[in-house]
Amino acid sequence: MTGRGAEAVQPGVLEALGSGPIALAREVRALLAMLFAVCRLAVTGKKDRRALAEQAYQIGNRSVFFVSVTMGFIGMILVFQSGLQALRIVPDLTMLGPTFAELLVRDLAASIGAMMLATRVGAGVAAELGSMVVTDQVDAMRMCAADPLEYLVVPRFLASVVMTFALLIWGAVMAFGAGMLTANVVFEVNFSTFANFSLVDRGDLAVGLTKCLVYGAAIPIVSARAGLTTFGGSEGVGWATTSAVVNSSLAVIILNFFISAAGYLLFPG
Amino acid sequence: MTTDARPTLTTVPAWIGAATLDIATEVGGLVVLSGRLLARLLPPRVDRYELVRNLHKMGVRSLGIVIVTAVFTGAIMVIQAAPLVTRFNAKEVIGWGAGFATLREVGPLLIALMFSGRVGANNTAELATMVVTDQIDGLRALAIDPLSYLLLPRVLAMVSMLLTLTIVGDVVAIGGAIVAAKALLDVDPRSFMNSLVALLSTWDLATGLIKSVIFGAMIAITSCHFGLTVKGGAPGVGRAVNASVVAAASGIFILDYFTTYLLG
Repeated sequence: MTGRGAEAVQPGVLEALGSGPIALAREVRALLAMLFAVCRLAVTGKKDRRALAEQAYQIGNRSVFFVSVTMGFIGMILVFQSGLQALRIVPDLTMLGPTFAELLVRDLAASIGAMMLATRVGAGVAAELGSMVVTDQVDAMRMCAADPLEYLVVPRFLASVVMTFALLIWGAVMAFGAGMLTANVVFEVNFSTFANFSLVDRGDLAVGLTKCLVYGAAIPIVSARAGLTTFGGSEGVGWATTSAVVNSSLAVIILNFFISAAGYLLFPG
Repeated sequence: MTTDARPTLTTVPAWIGAATLDIATEVGGLVVLSGRLLARLLPPRVDRYELVRNLHKMGVRSLGIVIVTAVFTGAIMVIQAAPLVTRFNAKEVIGWGAGFATLREVGPLLIALMFSGRVGANNTAELATMVVTDQIDGLRALAIDPLSYLLLPRVLAMVSMLLTLTIVGDVVAIGGAIVAAKALLDVDPRSFMNSLVALLSTWDLATGLIKSVIFGAMIAITSCHFGLTVKGGAPGVGRAVNASVVAAASGIFILDYFTTYLLG
């Protein structure tokens, strides 16, 4: 009795445990394959300058306002929070600016900015490509022997790598500026005391810039895959957009973990 | 000459004015929608079946991504605090340092952003598809109020589920932080918990949870608003989802600042 019961249950449990990792591994493999194909096409393929400029404008210029607002607010929040905390323990806020600058450069500017761009750029790319798929425009391209990866994904990929890099640095500047203002207004910390970059060393800069570059590459690949695998009308476009946002945000968090851990082990202290 | 100078002179003010009007229109729409939904809460007229279905779809099925997000968030906070505590040689406060940031600020924020990406975007897409395929008008024709039948259960489900998921996420994030602290800094889990419990006040924890309720309401109202005001077929659905996640993310950050400021 118990044996039969266990037999009936076991495959179900194993299936439930195994299907997740297997699906994840397949997805990661497909994403890596797409990344390599896109990189190869970016080097060897035709360069469509107009498409590239158009995408750079869509991804870059039109996100400036959004990135400025969110990063400005996060700078204000972080300085306000950490200032209150620091006052609870030591009544000295001279280290607030340097510590904030270090955290911003090493992690927060790149990662929180990239989460924002994952929603903005990821949703945009997936919605656009998804609509093209459900209205058969992508199949029409394939019939004309035009590779959708080369014509649609490569410009978005290149534009996103360059523009994400620039936007994240801009976001860091906005966050630091907003933080500096908050520190001055709320805690009366001098601008010159706050703007102290003595704690930012080469390791922090290397980790931060690596993050900017990797996120810029990851977001368009994850969202383009979500967009190109769309099926089923306007509902499908909605699903594709949702999964693009979720998966690219998750990609940012998971990559952040690995890059941060590697950075900590490579540049301790 | 003046006709040449005029467009360049008026372009920037016109652009600023148009952007301001656009933002004002959307914010106004959000406020009107919240008012209408609040009016339907007194007395509550909620479709119970829809409520349970949405609670399951939005809450239970988001558990996976919330757990993944929380584990990594907790671990990342420890990695980020690690150089600081080793510099001041204060390994014993790592529990408080990482735990405070996670429970009060980063945890609720990141979980809300993931929730907005998954549930908010999905909700906008679903409502937008219903609008595009005339299903909302169909409901109106049957004298069923779409606000109390479709929207109210979703809003209630999102607010209560984001709160619940944040509580789960907090627990999981602390777990992730403990593992990371043990692996990277060799901090005993017990001393990690001691510093967390001793230095963290209940109010810190409550602040994080109050935030999650506010974020939940923000996500719910934005996603419903952008879903209902969709225009034009399948591309319109994509644009609505895009606008909805962008607005929800901006709203979360702006509200986060003010709640931090007010709650101290």
